[in-house]
Amino acid sequence: MRAEDQDRAIAEVVSRVVGGVTQGGSQALERALAETIYHERKRVERGAPSRARTRALAAWDKRRSQLVRGSDTVRRRVLEELVTGFAREVLGNFDPRVHALATRAVPFGLSALLHASSPQQLLQRFPQLGLDDRIEVNGAVEHALALRDKGTLVCVPTHSSNLDSIVLGYGMHEQGFPPLLYGAGLNLFKNPLMGYFMRNLGAYTVDRRKTAPIYKQVLKEYAGVALEFGYHSLFFPGGTRSRSGEVESKLKLGLLGTTVKAYANKLARHDPKPGLFVVPMVLSYELVLEAETLIDDHLQAEGKARYIITDDEFSSPLRVFQFMRGILELDARIYLTLMPPRDPFGNLVDREGRSLDASGRTIDTSRYLCAAGDGPVDDPNRDQEYTRELGQQLTRDYLRGNTVFPTHLVAFAAFAELEAMHPQRDLYRLLRAGAEDESMVFGDLARSCDALRERLLAMEAAGEVRLSRRVRTLDGGDLVVHALRSWGTYHTHSALTRRGDRIDATDRNLLLYYRNRLQGYGLGAS
Amino acid sequence: MQADVAVLGGGSWGTILAHLAAHNGQRTTLYMRSPEACEVLNTTHTNPRYLGDSALHPGITATSDLELAVRGTPVVIFCVPSKASRAVARSAGAFITGDQVVLSATKGLEPESFHTVTALLRAETCALKLGALSGPNLAKEIMRGQPSATVVASHYREVIERATQALHSELFRIYGQDDLRGVELAGALKNVIAIACGAAAGLGFGHNVRALLVTRGLAEIQRLGVKLGADPLTFSGLAGVGDLMVTCSSELSRNFRVGRGIAQGKTLDEVVEELGEVAEGVNTTRVALALAAREGVQLPITEAVGALLDGEVQAQEILGDLMGRAARYEIDFDYTAEVG
Repeated sequence: MRAEDQDRAIAEVVSRVVGGVTQGGSQALERALAETIYHERKRVERGAPSRARTRALAAWDKRRSQLVRGSDTVRRRVLEELVTGFAREVLGNFDPRVHALATRAVPFGLSALLHASSPQQLLQRFPQLGLDDRIEVNGAVEHALALRDKGTLVCVPTHSSNLDSIVLGYGMHEQGFPPLLYGAGLNLFKNPLMGYFMRNLGAYTVDRRKTAPIYKQVLKEYAGVALEFGYHSLFFPGGTRSRSGEVESKLKLGLLGTTVKAYANKLARHDPKPGLFVVPMVLSYELVLEAETLIDDHLQAEGKARYIITDDEFSSPLRVFQFMRGILELDARIYLTLMPPRDPFGNLVDREGRSLDASGRTIDTSRYLCAAGDGPVDDPNRDQEYTRELGQQLTRDYLRGNTVFPTHLVAFAAFAELEAMHPQRDLYRLLRAGAEDESMVFGDLARSCDALRERLLAMEAAGEVRLSRRVRTLDGGDLVVHALRSWGTYHTHSALTRRGDRIDATDRNLLLYYRNRLQGYGLGAS
Repeated sequence: MQADVAVLGGGSWGTILAHLAAHNGQRTTLYMRSPEACEVLNTTHTNPRYLGDSALHPGITATSDLELAVRGTPVVIFCVPSKASRAVARSAGAFITGDQVVLSATKGLEPESFHTVTALLRAETCALKLGALSGPNLAKEIMRGQPSATVVASHYREVIERATQALHSELFRIYGQDDLRGVELAGALKNVIAIACGAAAGLGFGHNVRALLVTRGLAEIQRLGVKLGADPLTFSGLAGVGDLMVTCSSELSRNFRVGRGIAQGKTLDEVVEELGEVAEGVNTTRVALALAAREGVQLPITEAVGALLDGEVQAQEILGDLMGRAARYEIDFDYTAEVG
């Protein structure tokens, strides 16, 4: 966010969050404060012992006693201080001039990131290491570009990997999109070099260790205020990287809901460009950097799954390097597919920014914010339902924009074979087993892949999914061979391995992860 | 004068909804295709084709001008047969704005797409504040001034509030619900079971058979409904068992009469001709069977009705087939697994 807007934004966020709390009266104020102090104190307590930790704990204790003794005026002031602190911390030092430089430097940035801890000679052997010619941006690019000056873009991509931020930042900039404001997990800022670029790519920090509801409220209000100020923004509506490998089917509606609210506020303020254009985006990878960690996390017993993962492949330069090498060797593309933009109510938008119904008639979207036959009215239940409507459209867009790679197709077919071999086993037993006599015949798997490919080709023709070049051209046997090679170049264990004319499911978790990308299309089983 | 409520479709149920709204003090427009029928209704306050000489509330204004009916009217109620719903929705879509509350009172599913009526309203218009109205409401009883109740289902509180304001009276109780899908599916699927009950009655069977068909019929339409995303509890409510009770036991129900007529040896065409009105259950049977095949759900009674309507078998044989099925548990223990 530009420096001149920052103070205004902070003031706006603080007034909204504090106003929202105090509306609930004295009790609500007390509860919000107690809750925030509790969560923050707990967070500090979890840290390693240090002088700073002791000081911080004392500060929280002092606040707690203020809360107990203080009047509503004092409490309100304490809350304002806390919220202001959160808001300042969240805002990045966004500078458009640095942004232009930063995006150009992203491929370099990645190399440098690797350089920081991997052997110099490796880099010399692969001097071209970079993502630039690996990223293919396709779909409704022109359409979305045409809207950039007609209102505010809200880019909502799927989320598979921490590399998404870099792919998005780079890909969108290359296509001529303006800088996008977005909230990125603090772990991405941890690496000083990455942190520098992330901040200047337009990112603001999201600290997931901060569990106080007020902090989440600050994040949400900030996202909304930025949209109202006309900042083109980006956020992941899935909330976090897809653990299972599936295309997101359930979205976090909280952040998505800021679009309706921002639109209402822009209208009320007679903003000359009140339009908000939601651009669904799908990132498709042949290989996913963190696949092994993500699927393991997904398979943890419910409740044990970690929301924050700090020790995954992304934090290991060697793994990032192996991944990049894999992508290069395979001549693999990373697809960033833009789907046709929608308004905050889920309707499609034309290049002029007009919302259209199925017959191509223009919709007056301001009427959605009115009571039936009457003027504008505030109705949180209604707005929430609008957002649910938008969310449903987005999940359908994601499936349509998803690109299938050989790794997905072959994993899906192989997993179906496993399931057919053991129809009575549940998923977990299927994953745990692994005897050699359970191997598949190469020819059978190749035939299943052919059959699946035929179905996918028909689905692609109907616009229900996208296929990578190899899925379109290779036959079943070659697809199996290629998928095996892909997994082999990067993953610790390949999902499938070949022994003569037999195929073993060596890493079933990984197999499930890649297979899941085809979940949601009604292709059957699991 | 801007109306408060517009009802689209001047069949018996649409006319009665307009009557109930007018009775409630709402300025009410009734859209009918035929200008002559409008003329008759506006001058004599009757709808002779569907409701004989029953006196309608004089506050109803009939019009054959769709724009006049729809534009700016806060509450719009669709009550046209499911086969015509999409075309009417598309035309009305030119005049509908996003603030309007749009309700469906049609108990049917579109033949080609299997869509519920609100789903096709969403597809063809810009309306988002959608709802469905469904329950045990026999037209002729309401016209005799007897009380009844119905469910209004919507995700939007405003829709339920506006529908209640428009229709709730001492004659007609409105119950709010948020399982839109369940209410629409229950309302449509129960017509299939009504045909089965009519057939049993036509064969001269008594109450035991009827009770069997109603309860097992409810179980199977619930099974399919839940697979399609409905809340199972909806089927125990007014829109489910309530509506089923009425349509499966009343001579006044169109779908019941279809089943009875066929069991007595008439052809489907003859029965429909005699009825003079659309019996949604005929079309819904085919949609239900297609959906069941897609979802892998067994619907023995619906299958039997399908065979009967296609004229493949005689009614007597069907009951024999149904009774000849293997014994099983009444409560399906897999059921919760399906609900997830």
